Amino acid sequence: MKKIIRLTINNQSHEIAVEPNLTLADMLRYQLALTGTKKGCDTGDCGACTVIMDGNAVNSCLVLAVQANGSVIETIEGLTTAEGLAPLQEAFVEKGAIQCGFCSPGMILSAKNLLDKNPNPSEQEIREGISGNLCRCTGYQKIFEAIESQSS
Amino acid sequence: MLLPTFEFHEPLSIKDALKLKKSLGEDAKLLAGGTDLLVHLKKKLITTNNLISLSGIKALSLITKEKNAVIIGSCTTMTQLSSTPIIQKNFPALKAGCDNLGTHLIRNRATIGGNACNASPAGDTLPALLIYDALALLETSDKKREIPMADFFTGPGKSCIQPDEILTGFRLPIPGKNSGAHYIQLGKRKSSEINLVNVAAFLKYDPDTKKIIDARIALGSVAATPIRSPKAESTLMGQTPEEACFFAAGEMARREDCHPIDDFRGSARYRQAMVGVLTKRTLTRAYELARSACI
Repeated sequence: MKKIIRLTINNQSHEIAVEPNLTLADMLRYQLALTGTKKGCDTGDCGACTVIMDGNAVNSCLVLAVQANGSVIETIEGLTTAEGLAPLQEAFVEKGAIQCGFCSPGMILSAKNLLDKNPNPSEQEIREGISGNLCRCTGYQKIFEAIESQSS
Repeated sequence: MLLPTFEFHEPLSIKDALKLKKSLGEDAKLLAGGTDLLVHLKKKLITTNNLISLSGIKALSLITKEKNAVIIGSCTTMTQLSSTPIIQKNFPALKAGCDNLGTHLIRNRATIGGNACNASPAGDTLPALLIYDALALLETSDKKREIPMADFFTGPGKSCIQPDEILTGFRLPIPGKNSGAHYIQLGKRKSSEINLVNVAAFLKYDPDTKKIIDARIALGSVAATPIRSPKAESTLMGQTPEEACFFAAGEMARREDCHPIDDFRGSARYRQAMVGVLTKRTLTRAYELARSACI
């Protein structure tokens, strides 16, 4: 039986009817067409589906949509403003931190969550901060440099 | 991967959750962080018609201090535990376990109760729960019981929790003065790894006689469940804390107390050898912490 959930996604409130077995990742992609959130492994190993839920980066493939009832969600679509890309996204472009681009939304959201909590992370902290996000192109060094350029 | 269909229940109190568990029977599964359960459901390793989410029960995600103990709610997340001062100060080996589990994305969801109920021999918080003499707090609609973590696990993925029971949390006695504890996990990579061997150790010594008066060692990934290492512990009692006796305890743990198996992660012989090394290292660090705490 479908349940009605209310949540805020990228500063917009939504009221959505969802099946209990729908994951947050699938709800974002298939019911709201927010396809910036990617699905890689679907088992919480790759981090492609990373979103920020109530201030914490999580694997949205391992959260049921019904569990997100009442929460505040940020997805990659929420970073861009009327002025264009967010500085962190610009930095990824500038530093060549995007290759195929599949890991980028998750990688950027993990980086944003890290910088929100810790504006001046050490090298170790940056590397740990993206350790839940896999890049099959293995472009980790440039991703690291992009994040480092945004630390205050 | 599609999740099978199920009914979703979200009780707001422990009482309501217990009522639901009783009426829905053995088939109903409790959902905490979901980082293991949802994967198992997706892979069709388990099936259920009813999921009871515990996220709505605020009391389960609290960390509270009693006179000589700390109560950790079963739905406390790894991130929450790791950033709580009372845990950092009194239970460093537990904090280390929380910091090593999965990835930061998993740690933001995964709960300590879930880690215990999943009962993996390699679980990251489990050796710490064993060495801190934690009690599991179990509740049914008409009674409560407390089980030492040493008696909690009954096999890989299995625990002594009864079908109508809910694990509400853990009671951890606050270690007294002159004690220290440490946890080390060994894997092939640093993040998102299933441990090859994980060891936690606790030491307490008498500053007057300079002898060890309490020693607890727990070994993970080297038996069907996380285990205590009783023979190694007994070699330490009454000894002067120094390298030779830590080495002897490691040797005892390696030879007598662990029963690893060969699998694709590593051989039994390698695991056994590492039990010796890691036991010695955790004891050495636990003693350093115990000594620095009393200065």
